[in-house]
Amino acid sequence: MIEVNELRKQFGKVTALDGLSFTAPEGQITGLLGPNGAGKTTCLRTIYGLLKADSGQALIDGVDASIEPLSARRKIGIFPDKFGLYERLTAREQVAYFASLHGMTRADASVAVQQVFERLDMLAIADRRATGFSQGQRMKVALAQAIVHRPQHLILDEPSRGLDVMSTRILRDLLRELRQQGTSILFSSHVMQEVAALCDQVVVVAKGKVVAQGTTEELCALTGETALEEAFVKIIGTDEGIAA
Amino acid sequence: MSVWSRFVSQHPTRIVFGKELRDAIRDKRSVMAAMSYAFFGPLLMAVAFFFMITQLTDPSDVEIDIKGAEHAPAFVDYLAQRGIVERSKPWPAGQHPITLAIDENWANHIAQAQPTPVTLTADFSSTKQRSDIRRIETALEGYSQQIAYIRLQMRGIDPRVISPIDVVNQDTATKGSRSALIMGSAMIFILMSVFFSGMNVAIDISAGERERNSLELLLSQPLTTQQMVLGKALAASCFAMAGGLLSVVLIPWVFRLLPLHEIGISVVITTADMCLMIAMLLPLALLATALQLFVSFRAKSFKEAQTYISFVLMLPMMVVFGVEFTNTKNPLLYYTPVTGQHQALLDIIKGEAIQWLPLAISSLVTLLLGWIILRFIGRMLASEKVVFGL
Repeated sequence: MIEVNELRKQFGKVTALDGLSFTAPEGQITGLLGPNGAGKTTCLRTIYGLLKADSGQALIDGVDASIEPLSARRKIGIFPDKFGLYERLTAREQVAYFASLHGMTRADASVAVQQVFERLDMLAIADRRATGFSQGQRMKVALAQAIVHRPQHLILDEPSRGLDVMSTRILRDLLRELRQQGTSILFSSHVMQEVAALCDQVVVVAKGKVVAQGTTEELCALTGETALEEAFVKIIGTDEGIAA
Repeated sequence: MSVWSRFVSQHPTRIVFGKELRDAIRDKRSVMAAMSYAFFGPLLMAVAFFFMITQLTDPSDVEIDIKGAEHAPAFVDYLAQRGIVERSKPWPAGQHPITLAIDENWANHIAQAQPTPVTLTADFSSTKQRSDIRRIETALEGYSQQIAYIRLQMRGIDPRVISPIDVVNQDTATKGSRSALIMGSAMIFILMSVFFSGMNVAIDISAGERERNSLELLLSQPLTTQQMVLGKALAASCFAMAGGLLSVVLIPWVFRLLPLHEIGISVVITTADMCLMIAMLLPLALLATALQLFVSFRAKSFKEAQTYISFVLMLPMMVVFGVEFTNTKNPLLYYTPVTGQHQALLDIIKGEAIQWLPLAISSLVTLLLGWIILRFIGRMLASEKVVFGL
């Protein structure tokens, strides 16, 4: 479970996080929905300890990444905002690199890499160098990197950005499968349809705080709208009243 | 697999090191950059020395303009015996003519035992013509002295009376120490090779990692920034050392090909010397890499890092060239990084005894300095300001 309690973060005069709190329980997909600049990426970076919150805490299974970054990071898989690949390494080498950084032995890593490549149907590109990979192929490598060590928590930052329909489907199927296996999945997005299609729970973030939380249906009911998009606009627009 | 070897093979530093090394070896640009400096440096030096030696041992005639040669045929013959002859070709552009003008009254003056004017017109500041001018002057003095001796003898005086001092030159320069000058510049090549050879890799694994957007993900993995920096530094140091190794092997080989014996230089570099040189370069390679990583981890892009690094390269160059050309002799130089290795290299090629304690201390200081810089980079990367450029 990922728990975020009263996170606050200031960059100079800009308030990025303003008392953000939510939880992402096991076996559920939690969507962090918000407009650009709402603080989604800042929140995720704080969870895995790249940024230090001014106050509040983010816990991964009770471990605070700002205190014990290594043990917190061992529990998670990350699909980052921008994923750069090592162009001169093959897909297999890249993914094995991340598996071994997570403490897998060479033998274990090579078995795990093979399994994840089979799952993502990427054996055809496994031994090719990343130069010349399409966006979809790159996404698969990044996804394989994130899940090769079978983490209990998966954090994805705007995962479907720039992906075609096929890649998006692969991603969704995988996330549903991992949810089935009890992984707690947290992903940020500003794409309504995606959140509506996938999430068990939606956390709407604006200006660094949670403005609404619940299932898609609950959010719609809350605002009296039938589509999540309308509900979202209403939530963001009528900040007060709902946040309470 | 023993516990220890399992620990080593799974240590994050080892994993990062292995990955970076593999990545760098596949990068043709990095490999070319590392090897080309180590390869072209000695080659360039060989060409320069070859020309220097041919110039120094130049047996060819000095061709000059001689005005009024018809007035003093015996004198002109004397000059010709010493390789100074009348020029038939025009002077090449940019070269100042050397003219020797003989007075028309030469024969009279000689007959009457009066000084006769001979005018030597040349650009005395020209370094190219310095040895030519010197040869002409020596020939003139020789002829003048010869006439003087004859005159004294004709007057019944022992010519030795005009040589009150008999200067005996005893050259104490050993062949080795004479070669030190030439070898000094060769040693600079060896020293600098560790700074140049790992440079491209250092940029690629720091600024390059940031530029390709993989730094953030790597920093989010379960390894400390210290482990990551050390792994990367060791990989880049390997490249720096490969360059150093190549120049240590190539430079003595180049010297064997050059006709150094013609200018009285002998160079003996044994295999043991070469091993010592290589060992000496090891801590320097780590320091060079640490300095390069320090600046390029702060850069946002490969290009930006290259700019910074060129400044960093100036630093050791200035130190070494400064010491070499100002001929500074301070015992402290034996203890500090870069200069300590430089002095030890010079001692090796001069065939002098190695000062082991200062060498050990300077190696330790170098290693320590490199280590401190690496620790500092590790701390720097734990700061969100540096990582996200806030």
